[in-house]
Amino acid sequence: MGELITIEQKILSKNADIAADNQRELDRRGVFAVGLLSAPGSGKTALLERTLAALAGRARAGVIEGDVQTDRDARRIAALDVPVVQIVTNGTCHLEARMVQEALSRLPGDLDLLFIENVGNLVCPGSYALGEHRRVVVTSTPEGEDKPLKYPAVFRSADAIVINKIDLLPHVPYDIEQARAFALQVHPGVLVFETSALTGAGLPAWIDWLLAERRGSADARQ
Amino acid sequence: MHEASIVRELLETAGARAGSARVRQVRVAVGQLSGVSPDALTFYFEILRGDTVGAQAELEVDLVPLHGRCLACGRPATLQELAWSCAECAGALVFDNGTELNLTSLVVEHG
Repeated sequence: MGELITIEQKILSKNADIAADNQRELDRRGVFAVGLLSAPGSGKTALLERTLAALAGRARAGVIEGDVQTDRDARRIAALDVPVVQIVTNGTCHLEARMVQEALSRLPGDLDLLFIENVGNLVCPGSYALGEHRRVVVTSTPEGEDKPLKYPAVFRSADAIVINKIDLLPHVPYDIEQARAFALQVHPGVLVFETSALTGAGLPAWIDWLLAERRGSADARQ
Repeated sequence: MHEASIVRELLETAGARAGSARVRQVRVAVGQLSGVSPDALTFYFEILRGDTVGAQAELEVDLVPLHGRCLACGRPATLQELAWSCAECAGALVFDNGTELNLTSLVVEHG
């Protein structure tokens, strides 16, 4: 006869434990970490390049780049003279906390802000906490306005949503008000930014939010 | 496709809990906002259980109902299937749960 063992444990509890360790380590260093999630090609890296340029002189930023293959993104970030660690997952469709833990050990200790750019994927990365303080989901106008409805779990888990490539609005059939409505439908009250990483439109509000969240988090720790 | 890594974690935890016993059943609870597909879990479980303590185990997946309320009319909602608007007034729904991804229980056989 079989014996029933009741367990009630998170399947990804090991990942959750390491993510909590990561956040403690980030807090110890006084680093505010922002995770960036999106589909491939939404302009995460371009948005990051613009963001890092705008933050220069205002906050010391670092980046962890997650990609399935190549260090192309890390080289783009390094060209801005920003500390960056590339994680190549070799086929894995998401970053895991242990990968971030290892990457943290290779970053300088005196950062104010850390961006963790996940593998381009709107499903799998959503299940893995990394230790980030805020999670931002980036979507872009050519993808269509219904992305939040199609990938509700990840949009619901986001602290903010960025609609990027608004410079393309005259050229693509994208109803930005409808996109906002869909985002708010799956995540009532979520903050939505509209940006163009190409022209810089909408960047100031996004940068102000990042700096305000960082300050708020630092104050809360004191 | 991250279900493969999730199943590996699951089999490892099941092995640690079962000790020397043979696992006959692994029961998991999956929330509707977990981003995990029950079908994909079952698919990878059947592939990956091979040389593990779960080699002869079946996977049972329980979908966890969503509990929440309507922001407009305040009516509580319990959903077996994901929806975004209140069935009564079409207002927006907020949920208290949904991201569950838990190993609930094992059935093991000794000897």
